Amino acid sequence: MENKHQVPVTVLTGFLGAGKTTLLNRILTEQHGQKYAVIVNEFGEQGIDNDLVVDADEEVFEMNNGCICCTVRGDLIRILSGLMKRADKLDAIIVETTGLADPAPVAQTFFVDQDVANKTKLDAIVTVADAVHLSSQIEDHHEAEEQIAFGDVILLNKIDLVKDENIDVVTKRIRKINPFAKIIKTTKCGAPLKEILNLDAFSLKRILEVEPDFLESDHDHEHDDDVTSLSFVSDKPLDMEKFQNWFGKLLQTKGQDIMRTKGILDFKGENDRYVFQGVHMLMDASPMGKWPDDKERSSRLVFIGRNLETMNLKEGFEACKSE
Amino acid sequence: MTTDLNQFPQLDKTKFEQRGIQLEIGVPVTCAVSIGNYIAAGFGDGTIRIFSSGEKHKTLKAHKGVILCMAKDGDNILTGGDDGYFLKISLKGEINEITNFGSRWVDHVAAHNGNLVCSSGKVVYYWDKNKKEPKSLNHDSTIGGLAFDAKGRRLAVSRYGGVTVWKKDYSNKWKSTKLDWKGSHNKVSFSPDGKYLVTSMQENVLRCWRLKDKLDFAMSGYGSKVKSFAFIDDTSYLATSGAIDAICWPFDGEGPMGRTPICVPYVGNNQVTFIEPFPDEKAIFAGLSDGSVFLSQIEKENNTIIIRSFTGSEVSAIAMTDDKSSIFIGDMNGNTLWTSIWDQ
Repeated sequence: MENKHQVPVTVLTGFLGAGKTTLLNRILTEQHGQKYAVIVNEFGEQGIDNDLVVDADEEVFEMNNGCICCTVRGDLIRILSGLMKRADKLDAIIVETTGLADPAPVAQTFFVDQDVANKTKLDAIVTVADAVHLSSQIEDHHEAEEQIAFGDVILLNKIDLVKDENIDVVTKRIRKINPFAKIIKTTKCGAPLKEILNLDAFSLKRILEVEPDFLESDHDHEHDDDVTSLSFVSDKPLDMEKFQNWFGKLLQTKGQDIMRTKGILDFKGENDRYVFQGVHMLMDASPMGKWPDDKERSSRLVFIGRNLETMNLKEGFEACKSE
Repeated sequence: MTTDLNQFPQLDKTKFEQRGIQLEIGVPVTCAVSIGNYIAAGFGDGTIRIFSSGEKHKTLKAHKGVILCMAKDGDNILTGGDDGYFLKISLKGEINEITNFGSRWVDHVAAHNGNLVCSSGKVVYYWDKNKKEPKSLNHDSTIGGLAFDAKGRRLAVSRYGGVTVWKKDYSNKWKSTKLDWKGSHNKVSFSPDGKYLVTSMQENVLRCWRLKDKLDFAMSGYGSKVKSFAFIDDTSYLATSGAIDAICWPFDGEGPMGRTPICVPYVGNNQVTFIEPFPDEKAIFAGLSDGSVFLSQIEKENNTIIIRSFTGSEVSAIAMTDDKSSIFIGDMNGNTLWTSIWDQ
């Protein structure tokens, strides 16, 4: 039957000047024996010329599926469908987004379009951050904060230009926004490509392997529109029906503010672990085999987004615990 | 108990496969058109293969990358590719460059009576047959499809948010009318009688406009995206892919509103992915996601015959010669069948 091989797609984001082009040039020129296609945006920094570079124009449109925040990248659907018709098979595709773009529509495209979902898979969102300027960029621009919030991997670049203690400050700032991203400190984006591409960060199985730092988040923040994260743990099994009602309603009504969710859940009466992850209102969930014998069963849940403290998440989660 | 795979029941080849020519090209078939009694097929490696009965097929290297689109222009083939080239190719194999957009793809091509159009990104380029330089028709978003009406007077351009219909007025100036509907519109087509305009959308739905009063309506209920549709027997039916049946909406009389479509069923749960009309008959070729192809009469129940058995890869092109003697079938893995339809 049809070959179900899916080409992994990495979304590369980050502010102008953070080092995205440096990374793209490495991907295109290094001797890695792999065939990568790179989809760049038309406003990007110039200097990349290669047969496997495709110009895109970051066109976003709204789906008519009753989901108000469900915007997708139409140009990506077109380009990915075209790339899948190529004679040579690609090992990976990298999508560059402009420094000011919201990565959510890119991620959503992989949930929404069936052809794209059949032939490609979202591998990871990689955010390149400028260690020198990140703190001020987060203060001044929503987008910088959002790019950190969405990232599975954050390349904290240009660390050679920053004092050690300042690197710690920036790292803490990143952790406050996003507790589960992997942070790689680099100069000139010099991380091995295998730590950036083909990570399978969006697979549910992977969530079991890379457990987020379930630090208790602190609740102090200066601005109401700060992006923060909240995490919850329960050793008591959850009631599946109660959880589905609460969580479904939560994503439906607050999905615009909730940027990413991930979790591993222990439901009463179920032998399997349930794993899920989502981008805004779209969610992927599935039972993922039995609980390992050497591990205590518990439910863990992380939210990244804005205005999380207004959503009564703690109370909602507590109420899902089984009687 | 062990199974001896040699004893396993084998699927017989259809009689069309037995008498036709089957190739395994190994590269996706992206498009095919009929030109008289020839069929031209485009492939993902930039090659074109021209089939005709009684001759060995001819292979041409036309583009450097994927052939994204193809149309017929008289006795010539028009192609657009991801190498940015818009080409005119004769059946003898002469390749002429019409233009080249560099790193930008040529997504769609169409022609009518010697006038040529192609789209790249948000712009449609129109070559009047009497002029050398093209006229640019600009749009706010990327173009999803192009179609002339039967007389070549109107050009429909689908895009995000609807369709722009271009027409030349009496002083030969281009005028456009917008038909708006939120969302991304892909393939577009006028009905052969010129009364309707249909688009397939990113969502699993078709949008239709009745042009005399711009009344618009949806044709929905599909399990997947409608990638292929065609008007059948002039404007009797609109046959569509996107479901496990071929869904045929009645377009005669007052049109499809308030009427139920005829669903032509196939064995199994495979989606219909390609529809090609059998010219002048109320009959369709339907290609499925498993590579099988059937010929069905729409109004007669149980009147379906199998043309090609499954290959395991989605049917992406079907074309019949103008004399209705032979057909070409291609799929996404590059399995092709070229066969005569009639028993000798």
